Amino acid sequence: MTDDIRGLTARLADEPGSLAFLELAEALRRRGQLEAAHKVARGGLARYPGLADAHDLMARILSDQGDLAGAFDAWASALQLDPMRTSALKGVGFLYFRAGESAAAMEHLQRALEVDPDDVSIRQAIARLGPARPDPPAGVADATPAPATPPPAVTPAADSPAEATPEEPAASGPFDAVDGGERGLLLVDASGLRLGGRLADAPGDPAGDRVAAQLAGVSREAARATRLLGLGAWHTIALESPDGHVVLTPASAETVLVAAREASLPMGRVTLLAERAARSARAWLEEQS
Amino acid sequence: MKALEPWVVGPLETFLAESAARLTLLMTTSGQVVAQHGFSRSLDVMTAAALGAGIVASTEELARLMGAARFEALVHNGQRQSCMLAAFATPRGRWIGLVVFGPETSVGIVRLFFDQMVQQLAVVAPREQAQPPMLAENFETELNASLKALFGR
Amino acid sequence: MTTTQTVLDRVTRVPGVRGALVIAATDGLVVAEQLMDGVDGQAAAALTGSLVGRLVRTAEGAAMRPPAFIHLRGDGGSVLAALGPDDLVLVAVVGPDANLGLARLEMLDAASRLA
Repeated sequence: MTDDIRGLTARLADEPGSLAFLELAEALRRRGQLEAAHKVARGGLARYPGLADAHDLMARILSDQGDLAGAFDAWASALQLDPMRTSALKGVGFLYFRAGESAAAMEHLQRALEVDPDDVSIRQAIARLGPARPDPPAGVADATPAPATPPPAVTPAADSPAEATPEEPAASGPFDAVDGGERGLLLVDASGLRLGGRLADAPGDPAGDRVAAQLAGVSREAARATRLLGLGAWHTIALESPDGHVVLTPASAETVLVAAREASLPMGRVTLLAERAARSARAWLEEQS
Repeated sequence: MKALEPWVVGPLETFLAESAARLTLLMTTSGQVVAQHGFSRSLDVMTAAALGAGIVASTEELARLMGAARFEALVHNGQRQSCMLAAFATPRGRWIGLVVFGPETSVGIVRLFFDQMVQQLAVVAPREQAQPPMLAENFETELNASLKALFGR
Repeated sequence: MTTTQTVLDRVTRVPGVRGALVIAATDGLVVAEQLMDGVDGQAAAALTGSLVGRLVRTAEGAAMRPPAFIHLRGDGGSVLAALGPDDLVLVAVVGPDANLGLARLEMLDAASRLA
């Protein structure tokens, strides 16, 4: 055991509530002691669930361990707490790239670049990102070391944001290209009419229609609120209910995308799903016009 | 929406669009109607204007007796609809706004955009010109002309 | 110090919070406020109250219980709302660099204490 690890371990033992767990877990991770790093990070996260640093750290450890789905969730939580966290944006970008979603990877890397334009690794990653590149960008790999094994899809579950086949043929509905399909997604126009998607499996989806009706003009109302309060243009509205998480985001000037998921899914992940579904809906709307 | 003075139209239209008010009446403190929205009968407009001006006058007298500053607004909450009365200064003198609204909006929204309308009216109002004294025989003629303009007849 | 003022104090101490207020959501009116210069409390109360009402009805339409927390994110910051009892809502207007996680935790805890 090195001196720094020994010192950090002693410090954490003396003050279990201190933030020393961040340094200790990171030092263990860098030495390849992933089990120990995971244990330390898990303990720290239990004490500090609202600390973006802790989620970011856990994501790096899980990524090293090959648990890409867990890493995605952890970075999504970090972004929920700190939307401009470049390490999390890079990490999610890397995972999207590994899942074959170059567009989503590029979007996250570009967001990271907007936050930190001086980060050379981001520029390198963007420059090297492309559909023909099988290897992860070196810059991103510096922050998030690639797992030794070939990457699986980020998650095969219905809620996964990963696309199984990025080059799918043109979709007939706004969410045909979204893995998991249209359930839990709605595209609503300014008049409160549903353009696509469904909330439930009931015939006709009355719940989806009710929700759409309530959201007539919501984009205008949200834009008015952020404008009059000096907050610029609106991006998302996130609702946390005991029964689920809902995220609204503009798909176009006249439409709103609604993503609804069970409460067990981190809000950050629902937000990413909403953004992805909004991109799909935008492409579909352009095809219709 | 109908207005006697064209410069009132813009601010009032904005207020109506943002507040979702059902009925709106702008009048002078003597009850002369300047603009209206949502009323279907001229009798209702005249009655509402007279009552509104009277209520504001009574309330201001009450405030004076209490030694208080003028009340900014008076809100009556109803089960199905509510009503706000507010007096405000314009370059053309003191006016009164009567707004009727339902549960599809809120008193907070109505007041927010009413205050914005008042600010906009102050900006767009033409510089005041001297008004000739109002004679009794001219009053009824003026009122009828106003009602015709407000109801598009 | 009243409970409401204590609540507002806690929330405004979170880094990046430009102002906090307790509103009566249905009316969109301020109950209590603690705001920095430049934050329009009347507008925040009216606009947030209106949005909260719509989103509560949206949740009902989706057969969900009313939301406990709402986050409206804009280019230059966010409006956070934690729903309390009796139509009271704790609202915070925050800048883009605010510690959202801490603000959310403080607000969820504080909103339950409103009465």
